[in-house]
Amino acid sequence: MKITILALGLAVLAASRPARAAGTPITLGAAVQMTGAMANTGRYYRDAYHLAVAQVNALGGVTVAGEKHPLALKLYDSQSDVNLGVRQYVELLTEDKVNFLLGPFSSDDALDDSSVAEKYRVPMVEGGGASSQIFSRGYHDVFGTLPPADDYFASTIEMLGKLSPPAKTVALVSADDAFDVAVAKGTRKLAHGAGLELVVDEQYPEDNAEFASILSRIASKHPDVILWSGHEAQALNFIREMKRLGVSPRGMASFTVGVPTADFRQALGADADYAFGMTPWLPSSAQRDDWFGDGEKFAQLYREKLGYAPDYHAASAVADVETIVKAIEAAGSLDPEKVRDAIARTDFQSLYGRIHFNPGGQIALAQTVIQIQHGQVVPIYVQDFVHRPDYPVPGWSQRLAHK
Amino acid sequence: MTLRWLAAALACAALAAVPLIAPSAFRQFGTEALLLASLAQAWNILGGYAGYPSFGNSAFYGLGTYGTAVMMARFHQPFAVGLACGASLAVACACAVGVPILRLRGPYFAIVTLGLSAMLAAIVRNLAIAGRNIGLILPLTRKDTLFYELALGLLVAATATVALLAQSRFGAGLVAIRENEEAAAVMGVATTRYKVAALSLAALITAIAGGIHAYWITFVDPASAFDGSLNVKMVIMAVFGGPGTVLGPVVGALLLSGISEVLASTISTMASLFYGVVIVVAVLFMPKGLWDAGRELRRRGLPYFGENLRRYRL
Amino acid sequence: MALFVQIVVNGVLVGGLYGLMALGMGLVWGVLNIVNLTHGALIMLGGYTVYYLYVRAGLDPFAALPVAMLGLFGLGYVLQRFVLGSIARSPLLNTLLVTFGLEVVATYLAQLAFSADLRTINPPYAGQRLAIGGVVVPLVPAAAFGAALLLAFGLWIALGHTRTGRAIRASAQNLGAARLYGVNPRRIFALTFGTGAALAGAAGGLYGLVAQLNPYMGNSLTPKSFVIAILGGLDRPLGVIAGGLALGVAEALTGAYLASTYVDAISFGLLVLLLVARTSRLIRSA
Repeated sequence: MKITILALGLAVLAASRPARAAGTPITLGAAVQMTGAMANTGRYYRDAYHLAVAQVNALGGVTVAGEKHPLALKLYDSQSDVNLGVRQYVELLTEDKVNFLLGPFSSDDALDDSSVAEKYRVPMVEGGGASSQIFSRGYHDVFGTLPPADDYFASTIEMLGKLSPPAKTVALVSADDAFDVAVAKGTRKLAHGAGLELVVDEQYPEDNAEFASILSRIASKHPDVILWSGHEAQALNFIREMKRLGVSPRGMASFTVGVPTADFRQALGADADYAFGMTPWLPSSAQRDDWFGDGEKFAQLYREKLGYAPDYHAASAVADVETIVKAIEAAGSLDPEKVRDAIARTDFQSLYGRIHFNPGGQIALAQTVIQIQHGQVVPIYVQDFVHRPDYPVPGWSQRLAHK
Repeated sequence: MTLRWLAAALACAALAAVPLIAPSAFRQFGTEALLLASLAQAWNILGGYAGYPSFGNSAFYGLGTYGTAVMMARFHQPFAVGLACGASLAVACACAVGVPILRLRGPYFAIVTLGLSAMLAAIVRNLAIAGRNIGLILPLTRKDTLFYELALGLLVAATATVALLAQSRFGAGLVAIRENEEAAAVMGVATTRYKVAALSLAALITAIAGGIHAYWITFVDPASAFDGSLNVKMVIMAVFGGPGTVLGPVVGALLLSGISEVLASTISTMASLFYGVVIVVAVLFMPKGLWDAGRELRRRGLPYFGENLRRYRL
Repeated sequence: MALFVQIVVNGVLVGGLYGLMALGMGLVWGVLNIVNLTHGALIMLGGYTVYYLYVRAGLDPFAALPVAMLGLFGLGYVLQRFVLGSIARSPLLNTLLVTFGLEVVATYLAQLAFSADLRTINPPYAGQRLAIGGVVVPLVPAAAFGAALLLAFGLWIALGHTRTGRAIRASAQNLGAARLYGVNPRRIFALTFGTGAALAGAAGGLYGLVAQLNPYMGNSLTPKSFVIAILGGLDRPLGVIAGGLALGVAEALTGAYLASTYVDAISFGLLVLLLVARTSRLIRSA
């Protein structure tokens, strides 16, 4: 009697399960920093991946050889531990058997995790590592949607040449990790090419950032421009220290990170005004996209669903998902080698910009120079002026007078 | 006696066969856990037996890592040469600084080792041959089973060393140093020589672990090579398992690694919370380590935990 | 020459805060023989307390410091009384394990509660500075320096000239004898740990004023506090402040005249040399 009831119950359960979506899911996997020191930026990747996958599915999923498949996502929390992230990527490939890989944030993590992709011969499209080191190893299966670190200051230096009063001397401050060293190397070349003199060229250790000494040195050399490269937390420290010591360059100060991000501006309040920065992406209705409509609609949707504004990290992450989907559809198969070749040939327009990789596997996107004006991020220059910059930047005491 | 060695040999053979039958994710986890266990065991020699708690074995780990990396990346030498270079660097360092730093005791010794590791990391950061802070990239190899077997081999060698040591005069000397160094010296134990030997042995094992890890991950930089969190990890694993015993650190390391890994893949985001809670609860109820708990639980059963609380509280 | 003085001043101001950070750790280590790996987390919690008091209740950060200190004192007292006290007589390294576990838990909960967003304590006077001669002395770091000195002196006086302070020192030297004189070890130890936590909390609040707050800031501050505490002689408040100042100035000078990337090499190298050179003195006093 009991067994019959049990059997009936099971039969009912089995019958009442919703009919499966046509086609087996295609799974993308990644280990991102959801907790730990990098969680601040890692969460952009987590949220963007989820949003992108949901949107792809809402519009019918992925079409492979005439059949529609839903897209699935498997994410692990690497807890900002690089070694754990590597192990999780191996697990994604061997245990969870994901089809393709997405990347983590940060060049250091991307460097290690991409080795896993290469070892197992599964394509990875990452949007968090810009260091040229990642792409100069002759790897076959790794692609990146952040533009090369060497060129980060290209637009800024180009813009400086068109401003008045002209800038002549530069102070370059950079951290000593892979990404920032690449930025510094590239910037030296660019500055030299533009006829700018480097009066200060300082490297600081990324884990012991004491800026008082560096700033005191800068104060004694009176540069027109400060070009700064490092991590967000230190950019914040640098600006605060600038204010405390009363150091303000005659022209402007530009930072590779922080400026486009909301909590950076919030933490600094009014002190963030006038700072220059850069971003490879700004939400724009001119960037059309097959899934989100355009960049502006994407930003709106993101803010609605997640409660905070996206920045280029999020857009880059979405671009990664779209790249893989497009490549699968172009290849007409899930074979890693065929999809890898399709990614290498990719060329399409998305909310992030034009997706196209150089032979090394890295994207080429111009950085837009931005400035914080009255707490808002304003695009200033990319190949030509978009808005008027607040230049030259007033000194700290003058800013108080302005208010 | 022979029965124990036989059991140990069987266990090793079983562990060695694992990568052939288990999924490769386990192999990945296994390699990491085995390397950590070797580090804990190496720490055990100086910290558990001789009573000198080092907080800077990461110095030797880093030397082993960079010795291997520089040889392989800059001079294109095979892995074995790299390992030999790394190991030699570490042992040379241990012998060079051993005498002065082993004159310090307790927390002062701990700090000087910490300082040594940080100093080496900072120096390497400025060396061009080591790639400064960007690090070095090693040649890629797809033979992951190799690393598992190497790590296992290292752990077996380390544990066998400790087992032999525990039975030998050298080991007795170390324990005497731990219990009462002045008395040991008076009794004729060559304390300085013994301590430096223990440090060198620990350095050797730690450096080889570093070299294996470097080739496995294919990328080294000062932060991960001289990783400070490793110091805390190896101490915790050794102490958790039972310092001054042969198998304690191994059990502690494998268990803690396992718990951490399982947590990371199941409750991913809450993993670190549970990990911390597990450690706190375990130490409160098993202050003498797992090994001791394992032994005593069989004899005295559950009251063991209550007794611990009563005995060890203020 | 002006640059040199400026560099030294920078170093001194930072050094004062360093010293305050290490004060609590040294006290707990020297008196209770506890290597407190939770120290960084306590600094972090103190910082967030001051932050929320400033942002939600509008309390001036310097006024919020005593409130945060009180809160952290309570937390420390409870931790010692009910958690650390339970393993006080077990092998030494167990407190290491427990404080490590507590630190992991505290950091996780902090991330959950406060999110990983960067935060600064940014009162309107935060950017002001004084110019003395040709030297720029930023206001907030100078005030933080002053607060650090004040607290160090306070601790020194308390340990040396109050009954409780003497009881603490007595327990550190000889617990058995101290008991005979009526000292209640549980209460005294909890008090000591609480004081250490309160000092850490104050350091956290000042750190948030001078730099910034995030749930993981403790990770790098704990080892630094280690070093300074040892340099200064653990439970000798004035020595610890001096140790902090020495480190601050050494770092500033290295950063300005060598290269910033050598800072750690020099400071840790100095540490190793100093410790090795002091061995003979340490052995004699042991």
